[in-house]
Amino acid sequence: MSEDASILTVERAEKTFDRTRALDGASFSLREGEIHALLGANGAGKSTLSKVISGHVRLDAGAVTYKGAPLQLRSTREALEAGIAIVMQETSLAPDLSVLENIFLPELGRPGRLSYGSMRRRAGAILADLGREHVLDLSREVARLSAAERQLVEIAKALALDADVIIFDEPTASLSPGEVEMLFDVMARLKASGRSLIFVSHRLEEVFAVTDRVTIMREGRTVAGPIDTTELTQADIIRHMVGREIGAIYATPGLGEAAAGPVVFSVAGLAAPPAVRDVSFAVRKGEILGLGGLVGAGRSESAEAIFGLRPRAAGTLTLNGRPVNYRHPRQWVRAKVGFVPEDRRRQNIVPDLSVKENLLLAHLGDHQGFGRGYARRAARVEELMARLDLPSHRLADASMLNFSGGMQQKIVIARWLLLDPEVLILDEPTKGVDIGTRQAIYAILRQIADEGVAVVVISSDFEELLGVSTRIVVMSDGMTVADLPSAALDEEKLTLLAAPRTSMQKNTELLEDLAARSGGAAFWALIDGDELICLNAVVAGEAASPGFAPGEVRRLEKTRIPNGLAAREASFTADDGGLATLLVPIRNRRNHDLGWVGLTVRGETPPAETITARIEAYHG
Amino acid sequence: MADHTIADARMERRPAGPIAGMGGRLARRLEVRMLVLALIIAAALSVMSPYFLTWTNVFNILDQSVVIGLVAIGMTFVILTGGIDLSVGSVAGLTGIVLGLLLKEVPIPLAILGAVGVGGLIGLFSGILVGYFGLAAFVVTLGVMAIGRSLSYILSGQTAISSIPSDLSNIVYTTVLGVPTNVIFLAAMYLLAFLYLTYTKGGRTIYAVGSNREAARAAGLNVLFYSVLPYVISGAFAAVAITFSIAQLLSADPLAGNLMELDAIAAVVIGGASLYGGRGSIIGTLIGVLIMVMIRNGLNLLGVSPFWQGSAIGGIIIFALLVERLVSTRAAR
Repeated sequence: MSEDASILTVERAEKTFDRTRALDGASFSLREGEIHALLGANGAGKSTLSKVISGHVRLDAGAVTYKGAPLQLRSTREALEAGIAIVMQETSLAPDLSVLENIFLPELGRPGRLSYGSMRRRAGAILADLGREHVLDLSREVARLSAAERQLVEIAKALALDADVIIFDEPTASLSPGEVEMLFDVMARLKASGRSLIFVSHRLEEVFAVTDRVTIMREGRTVAGPIDTTELTQADIIRHMVGREIGAIYATPGLGEAAAGPVVFSVAGLAAPPAVRDVSFAVRKGEILGLGGLVGAGRSESAEAIFGLRPRAAGTLTLNGRPVNYRHPRQWVRAKVGFVPEDRRRQNIVPDLSVKENLLLAHLGDHQGFGRGYARRAARVEELMARLDLPSHRLADASMLNFSGGMQQKIVIARWLLLDPEVLILDEPTKGVDIGTRQAIYAILRQIADEGVAVVVISSDFEELLGVSTRIVVMSDGMTVADLPSAALDEEKLTLLAAPRTSMQKNTELLEDLAARSGGAAFWALIDGDELICLNAVVAGEAASPGFAPGEVRRLEKTRIPNGLAAREASFTADDGGLATLLVPIRNRRNHDLGWVGLTVRGETPPAETITARIEAYHG
Repeated sequence: MADHTIADARMERRPAGPIAGMGGRLARRLEVRMLVLALIIAAALSVMSPYFLTWTNVFNILDQSVVIGLVAIGMTFVILTGGIDLSVGSVAGLTGIVLGLLLKEVPIPLAILGAVGVGGLIGLFSGILVGYFGLAAFVVTLGVMAIGRSLSYILSGQTAISSIPSDLSNIVYTTVLGVPTNVIFLAAMYLLAFLYLTYTKGGRTIYAVGSNREAARAAGLNVLFYSVLPYVISGAFAAVAITFSIAQLLSADPLAGNLMELDAIAAVVIGGASLYGGRGSIIGTLIGVLIMVMIRNGLNLLGVSPFWQGSAIGGIIIFALLVERLVSTRAAR
């Protein structure tokens, strides 16, 4: 490969923090106008390397060359002045200032008068370049923006400084799938404008979706790359990242749904405004239930409302057949129900207690008596450390903050396993966790489920949900909208089911219109082989009901319109005992298959062309 | 944070030198560093004043540590939860007056019990405002401080109560094997507080609540109860402390305990507690108390004007915090 096209190279980079060797001879090279993935498990040094490039961290040894000259950054300010910017996961925005002020934050520090008028024009131009001029209100306070919008502000901020190199450090971690696509669109535009991007991630699908070349790090060293992304397979990357072959990441379901026992825990009509409006689900002994949805669907809020971490306005909770109305985590803990909240640092880790005491924290909540009762659990603690493959001599460590994310998460999960729970709810259990630990966490969840624990996994990673759970409950806008076996689902169907109801509003309007005019039933469904997944349905005349409701999966012959569904004609030809059905395939602007819109009527059929035209007009 | 797995792996491989490990772990403990500081101060003072290291003076120092030491126990509990109790001085003043008034009516033990009960109730009031209603501890206890001082003037009729039965002084001047009972009592209280904070569910909960309230709640700990309890303990200890002071002076002054909160907070902070909560120890507090009393005592012995004492104590607090910050940021890097 030719090095002359490189805009930035890092050679033999070394950096030691205290006793931690974060970089141990890492090298990296970025071409002009490419998107370059920097990959590695947690602790591989990719964050440190990106912080070296962005001026946050100074190297102990090694050389950085930028635009043909050696680069020695003493601060992030110098990096920005040189044209290198970083967009971090936890953004560096001032929450109380407006979007505009944040975009030009570095200029606010300069002496002299500011011209808001010209800043406004420049910001408008930058956002237009990104294709996002109408998305962001420049005078809005940053504190009120979503994670995706904040990121956009960060990117605009980098562009305001004319950055040539932009580092994206785990940019998709807190974005919903739709927002990720938008981000990728922005990244593609940046690349088209000649900028060079570094994309730090450990989500492999995304790497394949967006990057040109890949560099893989492990233990502070570059172990592979730069390699063209197209020359790699997912398995290659994982092998480099982990240093060994990983089989299936997801543990195979032990005995599957058939063997799942009785319902242990169920929730009906849960409400905790504003985020949670109507949530119902039930989890059986020995199964892993997935709770999926986009960011903002109210999944975490539901779990917190159940567990007493936020007030509950309505809802019936049933544990082992007995209605319970616990409002304090303490009561749940003593009833053998555990909950691992999403935010590890804020909701799980007690920084001033030792690792051992962190592991014993839920025990302390469960324990009744004056003493600590630690000794009683000693044997079980040792056993859990071994089971989770954790070094037991690190139990005495004074703080778990300098553990890797994966190790922290294992300790937090062990905290609950120690109590032998009957129900365990985990919110984003693999967030910020490297791939090796992810695999270990999936395995342990599978194991405890097989031992009879009812497990609920909340995740916005659909691939993970599909891989780990036997059944998935989908939430959207604070409501449960579907409850389906994972086998009937894939990522695309999940995405459609999880789409916010607001985006379904247009569809509902159409269905209501169709149903009302014909006195029949209109529906939107996916048809996959001999199965139908109903996404939305409006029934005006009960006599014309097709025999399925939104969120339901039916085999075609189990519906009331098997012939109509089998024919899939844009005319009312097929007949099911007096029910005539018309089906029109729909696609979105980018030509993605969105399934079928159907109309079922009894008796007189309206003109098929008019109906088809109306459907197509809505989904043009 | 993401870059520490390598360190994890390395530390596992590192052969553990037992002696270096022990020494390292000891040096990492703040109490040990503060103890070293205390010893240095003691050594310096005994060089400067030959009288400093005599038995008489050692007991003198211990005797002077009793009142502030007892208040500092309660303050440690409060600060461990991330709170602060500015009202201890005026609660001491008020409960002292209550004790003085009660002694006119009831036997000594009942009067002490009554005063300590009043101290605890005042603490309960502050604790509920802070723990249940979520008001800022600084403001709540500032208010209680003003109320307490005002009530102690009103109840006392603005003059000291000097009709204290001299039997009360037995709790100070009786000795067991040559050690005065107030010193024995102080040691016993520190031992109890240490055992409570280290070995009981309540003690560990206080640490957890101060370190990360939300995580403590999510793990099923009784956050509300253990946020309120420290204020009750603090109020009660303020009353106990003033009881020992009155036993020595045989007079209850409405102005007693003035600025006592600052000494107590200073002792806790010198002892290594974090004002954000979750970090600190009762042993550290004891060392902090001893450092403060030794400096006062030493400066007196050296004939330094008492007006310099504030500068010396203030300097030590700032020095201790600065050293701590430098050491702990280096350790964290």
